[in-house]
Amino acid sequence: MKHGKKRIAKIVDELVTYFFSIGATDIDINLKEEKEYYQISVKCNYSCKDQGKIDKLIKYLKCAKQEEMEEYFWELAGDSDVDTELTLVGMMTDEAEISCNDNTIEVNLIRYKI
Amino acid sequence: MAAYRKNKIQENIITNNMKYLILGGYALSLIIFGLLTDTPEKILKGLYNILTEPDTLITDYIGVGGIGASFINSGLLTLIFLFILYKLKLNINGVSIASLFLIAGFGLFGKNLLNVWFIILGVYLYAKTQKNKFSKYIYIALFGTAMGPMVTEILFSTTLSKAISIPLGAIVGISIGFILPPLSTYLLRVHQGFNLYNIGFTAGMIGTVFVSIFKSYGFLPSPRFIWTSGNNKLLSVYLFLMFFSMILLGYYLNNRSFNKVKDITTYPGRLVADFVILEGFAPTLINMGINGFIATIYILLVKGDLNGPTIGGIFTVVGFGAFGKHPKNILPIFLGVFIGSLTKIWNINDPAILLAALFGTALAPIAGEFGWHYGVIAAFIHSSVVLNVGVLHGGLNLYNNGFAAGIVAAILVPIIEAFRKDDF
Repeated sequence: MKHGKKRIAKIVDELVTYFFSIGATDIDINLKEEKEYYQISVKCNYSCKDQGKIDKLIKYLKCAKQEEMEEYFWELAGDSDVDTELTLVGMMTDEAEISCNDNTIEVNLIRYKI
Repeated sequence: MAAYRKNKIQENIITNNMKYLILGGYALSLIIFGLLTDTPEKILKGLYNILTEPDTLITDYIGVGGIGASFINSGLLTLIFLFILYKLKLNINGVSIASLFLIAGFGLFGKNLLNVWFIILGVYLYAKTQKNKFSKYIYIALFGTAMGPMVTEILFSTTLSKAISIPLGAIVGISIGFILPPLSTYLLRVHQGFNLYNIGFTAGMIGTVFVSIFKSYGFLPSPRFIWTSGNNKLLSVYLFLMFFSMILLGYYLNNRSFNKVKDITTYPGRLVADFVILEGFAPTLINMGINGFIATIYILLVKGDLNGPTIGGIFTVVGFGAFGKHPKNILPIFLGVFIGSLTKIWNINDPAILLAALFGTALAPIAGEFGWHYGVIAAFIHSSVVLNVGVLHGGLNLYNNGFAAGIVAAILVPIIEAFRKDDF
């Protein structure tokens, strides 16, 4: 696969852009490369009172992995700050776990290398 | 703290096989309609003509081979590609539906059972050289068949001997397919996904380069204009039946309701807006049917002709009803082209302007994201740009509107964004 690491950077870019859009001011990013997978963990606060935006985040990241969509569209991830490409992030990752309460969101994504 | 985990790929009760069957049914309906409208002799002769003539824009296959042959060409192509998706074990989602309806639509004016395979082979070879699965590039291959006329233009050239034109046509087609995947992915960034026909933009760029080289050696693509009229009654009956069946079937599969159809209109439609994944297959089918009615009624209202090219445009609006287009973001595009016709030198039902309205809906995400007024402006500009860019690729890129829409989006979106008030 070409641009493997750039794709990881794009996923992080998209997540950070989205978290900024919901008013995050304190974002922790942890990016780990293991033998078989990459793990992306992001934890942040948020100030947005629009529950719809949080619901969208959950819905989009829960999208199933789709290699054929990724191969064509991955360059779009993190490319725009007026709209979200979180569905694409969902399609580029194998596992996603999203936890949230009134003040904090925590996202853990796994992307296998093969 | 609430926690959520990832979905499995399957979606509720509508299985993937059922989606294949439904899409196969629509492809089959094209073939049946073709068989009902012409005699077998006429169909065979028509198919021969379609396969052995150049397909430069605008070549209406109804004019080349008759209604029967052109619909059978379209139906067979769609069935073959549907079968390929099935063999590759792909899930039917919005992009699959969009690409298949694009094949069906252009099967009536430019893509045929001969000229698409060289591009597909080129993409296949690219996948193999990258040591990747072909399935990863299948949608690029399907959309990429827009460059089919480049192959036939050389294959059936009257200025080259067959000993040169046949291998040259094949090599050019394969080369285009080979370079398409990296280019199409890269060029997405130019318009940031606000042009739904990204491959059209890519093919326009490739076509411009190839045709420039051709011209340097004295080889000029021959312009064509084959446009039929007088079949509105027959063709509109078929189209309305098809779109009505989509709404009915979608309603039935959606537990006899129109739930979630309205939710589809809340998406801006910018790439990647896959309505099948986001809202489900059944509401998407209803949205496709509604889009089909709007596009067909528009053509009839402006007293345009229903023929290969316009039905191609209508099928594209229908197909992308699963991948970015809905009534709320396409109507401003039709309005923009209509307003253009009031002030510019052409008529609203001129062939190129009918196509500009239908295919201009590639810019629907601009209306969806920034508001209907920007959609109107985008369409107003698009209807002029599209008349001016065809010469660059000599009409050899079937998605000429996609090329123009890419240019319009690349120019317009940064300007709109620069003056947006709701920045964060």
